[in-house]
Amino acid sequence: MSEQSMRRPVRAVALGVGAVLIAFLVVLAVTHSGAKESAESNLLGKPAPVVEAELLGGGKFNLSYRKGSWVILNFFNSTCVPCVREHPELVKFAEAESAQDEPAEIYTVINDDSDTAVRTFFDKNGGDWPKVKDDNGTIAVAFGVAKVPETWIVDPNGFVRMRITGEISTDFLNETMSNFRLQASGVG
Amino acid sequence: MNLKSANRSIKRWPGWLVLALATFVLLAVGIAADNGPQTQQDRIDAISKRIACPTCQGESVYVSRASSAESIRNEIARQVGTGQLNDDEIVAYLEDSFGGDVLLVPRSTGLDALVWALPVAVAVAAIAGLTMAFRRWRSQSLLVATDDDEAIVADLRKEVP
Repeated sequence: MSEQSMRRPVRAVALGVGAVLIAFLVVLAVTHSGAKESAESNLLGKPAPVVEAELLGGGKFNLSYRKGSWVILNFFNSTCVPCVREHPELVKFAEAESAQDEPAEIYTVINDDSDTAVRTFFDKNGGDWPKVKDDNGTIAVAFGVAKVPETWIVDPNGFVRMRITGEISTDFLNETMSNFRLQASGVG
Repeated sequence: MNLKSANRSIKRWPGWLVLALATFVLLAVGIAADNGPQTQQDRIDAISKRIACPTCQGESVYVSRASSAESIRNEIARQVGTGQLNDDEIVAYLEDSFGGDVLLVPRSTGLDALVWALPVAVAVAAIAGLTMAFRRWRSQSLLVATDDDEAIVADLRKEVP
């Protein structure tokens, strides 16, 4: 057997290994990085999960009953630094929204926090919107919230329109809501 | 049947065929065997072990003490308690909420299927390559006596009384 014919399988194996490595690199390149900062979610464009919970201070909250209004769910914990930092922005946004003909409804979803701590925080920092209790984490799991803060926007038809991970700003929320309203009115 | 003939019969095709068939049957029985969990807590534990804690590195919801893991465990317990969904459907529900990253065991469809298929493909290619290489090396190692070699042996034989 000649040396040349001996080299053929070696070349074939080398080519095969090379092909597998290239395929592996392609897979790594196209696969989602898993970054948690991403605002992607399987729920976007789908009906919002069923949410039935108690409100802090009494009363019931049922997300499906909020159809007809834009709903903003802000997942919050009073010990989370970004939550505390974004809070003034949310208060400003709420003030701006109150001037709208049909203001968006803001709800804080309490994430792994005590009622007392949340009450104390809101008494001190403002924000008179309702606070939804999520003692077992059912709402967080339904929305796939692992870290706070997270903000979700649900449209008047009950469909999830946006997920914002991390801190939000008043300007971003104002602009986003303005765009959504334009789209809904058929102008955008 | 002595050992030699038994070895010979195994080396023939039917022997390998029986071996392959037995392997296939054992695998099929292993996969299909119903050793699933019985109690609700067993189901909760089994599902929790399939789900990654979304705020931890490489820990399952079953192991992790993080609050997000605890929430997921609670939700699994609630879903199991209602009895409306089977284990795969509960896992699918969690995957829908948290995304595919929450699965500790990759799916066998789509791009994730490569995780299962690639090692098998590489193993098959490697075995095939090695088999070919060994055959070649064996055929090369067979020494063929040249005329000169035979002459030397003949001379030596003549010298032996």
